[in-house]
Amino acid sequence: MSKRVRLDGLVWLILGILMCIGAIQLKLGDFHTPGPGFLPFLSGVLLGIFGLILTFPTPLKRSAEGEEAKNERSSVIWNWKKLINPFLTLLILFIYLLILEPLGFILTTFICLLFLFKLSEPKRWLRPFILSASTSILSYLVFSVWLQCQFPRGLIKFW
Amino acid sequence: MSGFFENLSLGYQVAFSAANLLYCFIGVFIGTLIGVLPGIGPVGTISMLLPVTFGMSPASAIIMLAGIFYGAQYGGSTTSILVNIPGEVTSVVTCLDGYQMARQGRAGPALGIAAFGSFIAGTIGTIILMFVAQPLSGVGIKFGPPEYFSLIVLALTLLSYLARGSMVKAIIMAILGIGLSQIGIDVVTGRVRFTFGIIDLEDGLGLAPVFMGLFGVGEVLVNLEESLNIEVFKAKIKGLLPNLRDWMDSIGAIIRGTFLGFFLGVLPGGGAIISTFVSYALEKKLSKRPEKFGTGVIEGVAGPESANNAASSGAFIPLFILGLPSNAITALLLGALIIHGVHPGPFLINNHPEIFWGTIMSMYIGNVMLLILNLPLIGLWVKVLKVPYKILFPILLLLCIIGSYSINSSKFDVFIMFVFGIIGYLFKKLDYEPAPLVMAFVLGPILESSLRQSLLISGGSMLIFLTKPISFSCLIVALFVLLSPIVLQRSRRIRAKIS
Repeated sequence: MSKRVRLDGLVWLILGILMCIGAIQLKLGDFHTPGPGFLPFLSGVLLGIFGLILTFPTPLKRSAEGEEAKNERSSVIWNWKKLINPFLTLLILFIYLLILEPLGFILTTFICLLFLFKLSEPKRWLRPFILSASTSILSYLVFSVWLQCQFPRGLIKFW
Repeated sequence: MSGFFENLSLGYQVAFSAANLLYCFIGVFIGTLIGVLPGIGPVGTISMLLPVTFGMSPASAIIMLAGIFYGAQYGGSTTSILVNIPGEVTSVVTCLDGYQMARQGRAGPALGIAAFGSFIAGTIGTIILMFVAQPLSGVGIKFGPPEYFSLIVLALTLLSYLARGSMVKAIIMAILGIGLSQIGIDVVTGRVRFTFGIIDLEDGLGLAPVFMGLFGVGEVLVNLEESLNIEVFKAKIKGLLPNLRDWMDSIGAIIRGTFLGFFLGVLPGGGAIISTFVSYALEKKLSKRPEKFGTGVIEGVAGPESANNAASSGAFIPLFILGLPSNAITALLLGALIIHGVHPGPFLINNHPEIFWGTIMSMYIGNVMLLILNLPLIGLWVKVLKVPYKILFPILLLLCIIGSYSINSSKFDVFIMFVFGIIGYLFKKLDYEPAPLVMAFVLGPILESSLRQSLLISGGSMLIFLTKPISFSCLIVALFVLLSPIVLQRSRRIRAKIS
């Protein structure tokens, strides 16, 4: 059994225990009148049990594992070079969250899309610029003007 | 019988209104589009477009979203046949013979039979749905809290069993989904649960931000790791109409695929996916030339393509009759109905006939639209295939952001989408199937209220789940499904020892 699958199991086990502790604090009630913590407690117990099954070899785990899961043990899932684009995309999304209200929808969307388009064309500016500007304006027209969605205006008050 | 025709007439009026015709067209168009585009599926798209439906009536919203669902089944075949990359998981099997037909210069008949097969299956599926759903809604009324609880347990167990990869991981996903659905104020006691003092969490996690994160952002992040410069089929596509010989070879496969797909689609889990594999295996078994399968046999395209379309009609049975979804897409449709203030269940067909009959009628229209979209306009979809992913992914991410924000005009919802985007990415990397989580997340509140009500009725006795025949049967089947891998493995070992 791979170390990673065991680690997964441990994470679920810990999460299950934490759920149980949280559920007990909420009050479990009894079988006659289940309290707010009743189902979360049951969920925590089950999560812990299946976390244990994943951590330690059991008949259920061995037989319930598909071929895919068996193959995964030998395959490399974290290729650090490949992680650059997802990481940068997440970073841009996080920055989007931070600047959305101060800068407003259009400006934030334009800036973030510009960098997202530039991820695949790092040496060029014109095409990403045109693509991000047109997408921002089009999305504003469709969602804000046509569908009446409310977006933060930020710096550009007249939009 | 007169009631039936009155309902049909109502459905006709709803579906043929100018607005609903437009929504139906938008739905099937988007469905075909995302079916053609690899890297985005109907689950992600429906999540992203949920907020767009807020200004519509519930019937219009379901007409459009259902159009995306069955439209994607049509579009998925195009990429399978032309580039050997399934646009949808339900079109994986189509690659086997469809792509081989394209390589032999028979892309036209392959695309043609896929579209005609889908049309026939979609139409027959809708007819069965129309005749079966209303009588079955009487059965739905017999479902009390214990039956609902056990049926949800069975649905989640089956979904975990049918999920790709490890069953244990799929069960963990389902339990996690139930756990996530507990966040927020408990409706019975008013106690706040697992919010960690965050006021925005008191109403619970929003369906749309969670779905968009898991399926939209998560999918994009995984795809960004790979180079998606797929090679598009370059030869000119001609002769889309299958000849008489093609029809003779395919018609049986289409009819068998239709009925098989519809009935497997009703089952909780990946009915549509399984139906394509079962249909392919069945056609191979019945064929006079089984050795030719995989080399470009038209039945290998016709059967599975019909099955996946019929399955999408079958999936509406549990949704409309019991208010229970059978897969992640119908879970989203259930979420959409709830957002629109409609509570699906046995009374939906009687209380909101415009939704049920309007959707049914729109499915006929949608299937005709799809036939037109997928045959004469095939050139357009081939061009769409050439849109590079580097242009597509920023637009997809923007749709996720807008979709999350616009529900409550809340930045917190975008944050939730962001967090679930990371979680969805990790789940995909670590081979955790998010579909059971989504189903459990939607069904969690119904599961909890059914459990509590059952225990109140029985005075705290768990035996109530075993004394009701429907509930007992569901739990027995769930137990059997849960233990079947162990039993099968044991029996295989014993057989190996004997031999």
